[in-house]
Amino acid sequence: MTTVKVSHVSKSFGEVKAVQDVSFEVYPGEVFGLLGPNGAGKTTTIRMMLDIFRPDHGEITIFDGKLTEDKKNRIGYMPEERGLYKDLKLEPTLLFLATLKGIDEATAKARLEPWLERFDLTGFRQQKVQNLSKGMQQKAQLIATLLHDPELLVVDEPFAGLDPVNTRLVKDIIEELRQQGKTIIMSAHQMHQVEELCNRILLIDHGRNVLYGEVAQIKRDFAGNALTIEGQGDFTNLPGVLEARRHNGTWNLTLDTGVDSQDVLRAIMRQDNVKLERFEIAEPSLEDIFVTVVQRAGHEEAANA
Amino acid sequence: MRNVIIVIKHEIRNTLGKPSFWLTTFLLPAVIMVFSFGAQFLSRSAFETEEDVLSGQGETGAVAVGYVDYAGLIKALPPEIPATLVQAFPDEETAQAALVDGQLREFYVIPADYVATGKLVAVEKEFAPLGNLGTIDILRYIVSYNLVGDAVLARRIATPLFSVETTAVEAPDSNANQDYGTRFIVGYGVLFIFFFVLTMSSGFMLRSVSREKENQTVEVLLVSLRPRDLMLGKVLGLGVVALLQMAIWLGGSYLTLNRGGSALASFGIFIESITLPKGFVVWGLLYFVLGYILYASLLGAIGALAPNTRETGQFTFLAMLPLMLPLWLSSAFAQAPNDLLATIMSLFPLTAPTSMLPRLAVGGVPFWQPLVGLVALAATTYLFVLIAARFFRADTLLSSASMSWARVMEEFRKGSKK
Repeated sequence: MTTVKVSHVSKSFGEVKAVQDVSFEVYPGEVFGLLGPNGAGKTTTIRMMLDIFRPDHGEITIFDGKLTEDKKNRIGYMPEERGLYKDLKLEPTLLFLATLKGIDEATAKARLEPWLERFDLTGFRQQKVQNLSKGMQQKAQLIATLLHDPELLVVDEPFAGLDPVNTRLVKDIIEELRQQGKTIIMSAHQMHQVEELCNRILLIDHGRNVLYGEVAQIKRDFAGNALTIEGQGDFTNLPGVLEARRHNGTWNLTLDTGVDSQDVLRAIMRQDNVKLERFEIAEPSLEDIFVTVVQRAGHEEAANA
Repeated sequence: MRNVIIVIKHEIRNTLGKPSFWLTTFLLPAVIMVFSFGAQFLSRSAFETEEDVLSGQGETGAVAVGYVDYAGLIKALPPEIPATLVQAFPDEETAQAALVDGQLREFYVIPADYVATGKLVAVEKEFAPLGNLGTIDILRYIVSYNLVGDAVLARRIATPLFSVETTAVEAPDSNANQDYGTRFIVGYGVLFIFFFVLTMSSGFMLRSVSREKENQTVEVLLVSLRPRDLMLGKVLGLGVVALLQMAIWLGGSYLTLNRGGSALASFGIFIESITLPKGFVVWGLLYFVLGYILYASLLGAIGALAPNTRETGQFTFLAMLPLMLPLWLSSAFAQAPNDLLATIMSLFPLTAPTSMLPRLAVGGVPFWQPLVGLVALAATTYLFVLIAARFFRADTLLSSASMSWARVMEEFRKGSKK
């Protein structure tokens, strides 16, 4: 049983191929990460999933079937471009959006109260949305997504515009929803957030699947591709190294596919002005993997051009 | 359907909850009435009309018109001009003395070469550029009568625009006999109300769609509603608002006419003589509803295509132009409500919503004309709704591409394929 199944889906806008042969599955109760650089095709994929756009090719099933009007009421969607009526008051806006999701106004009102309290927005319920800060609008948007108690939550960049306290709050809520058995699909740029929350991920680049699977397994697969180095000297421009970043005196090196870490060690040792104090094969972060995969895809595209 | 009803309620609540709606509904007619009636009151106090002079309601009871006829044209007065209304003087000095004594308000000098030049000289106690508008017409009429020797022909020379003669083939319609002033105010009032309610309510549609695009609310809505359901909800919700506004304006007009009867009577407009023809309300409702759906769909489509309201200007103006034409030609409509121009415009679907109703209010329109106009309007509305729906799609609603004619054509082609 799958909550979402996307099979070989493609979508073009005129000459632009936004999504090409993308496939993935999302299972009940998991937090699934949809990743990719800007313009990779994430939003188009989400819009096809939600029946806003029709795919040119391929098939999408939601809750084991076609997306019907009733099934739409079981989905909560928070788009990247936040959308609330700026000239309306907060409470009527949230109630209107909730009633469109199949619940009556009285139920929506009853459910709204605790959410407003939790997000510290009770005092702003009769304020126009345009008078709220960006962070408050972000929290209000999340309430609009959750108020009808959806089984499937699709959130695009849920942490954008939030301070650390509210980021923590949103993470806690996502974790609670997971424990309640809800399915969550989140798209995010902050890789450490994805790493912390997601069970599985799909990385899309140039509209194509480039990486798909469990986060832990992916990290194991890419384990040989990252090095942690401490010492004195310049560790940039080493052969086979895609990226070298320095953080608190420690260098994190991302290696290209097929590059042996021992070759990198030999290259460092050949340099006269380097003093090596630590050389360790590291488990790569999701961010390192992201950079590796996207850069590799870029190189392959350049080579094919 | 449930969500369409929710959108209908939302649009009604939202529009009625805005102070701008109530301000426009009540303030705009008030401002226009102050300007139009106020101007007429002021001008009324500044000069008397032909009818006042003819009825002997001159300001001081003095003889209204004196003249010195050097051309020797005036031999007799037309039968309907009382002898006490005009007085001949042998020369300017005598007339001047009568003016100073207060026996005259003004006098005219008809030069010997009047027939060649057509020029009269008016002599008044005080300079009043508009003060002789009524009396000069009388004098010209008297001169014309003496030149052509026929009262009917002389009147036709004086007012050539009223020379159209209509012959009723059915039982005479009492409305067709309304005088010009009454006809003008009824026709203009109906035209004005229909024009403003149609443009305003269609404008609400444009703003509503644009606002959801600009606020990016539309993406959230599209997960709950199909684009066409969203359009339907908006058209119906704002249609209810438009009907409410129409009711307020028509009710307000009715009250104004009833309460302001005596004031209007001073303009020669008698409320008792205003009787709307049978079935006017039904025709009015049908024309209004179809006209509203047509223009709301059109402006909704423009809203769906444009990234914001600022880019809709020229497209909105062109879309609404047919509704404005009858307003620009309102004077011609009131003077000759059943001539060729008014008839064509009231049968042409895009101008019909603001053209047919003023004609019906004035009366004398053959039954087949509103019927044919309505059928044509219904067919065009249906066509425009289909066209608008082609533009009202998820990809256009989510697009921030600029508005241009090329894009309109491109999106129309895309919409045709779907």
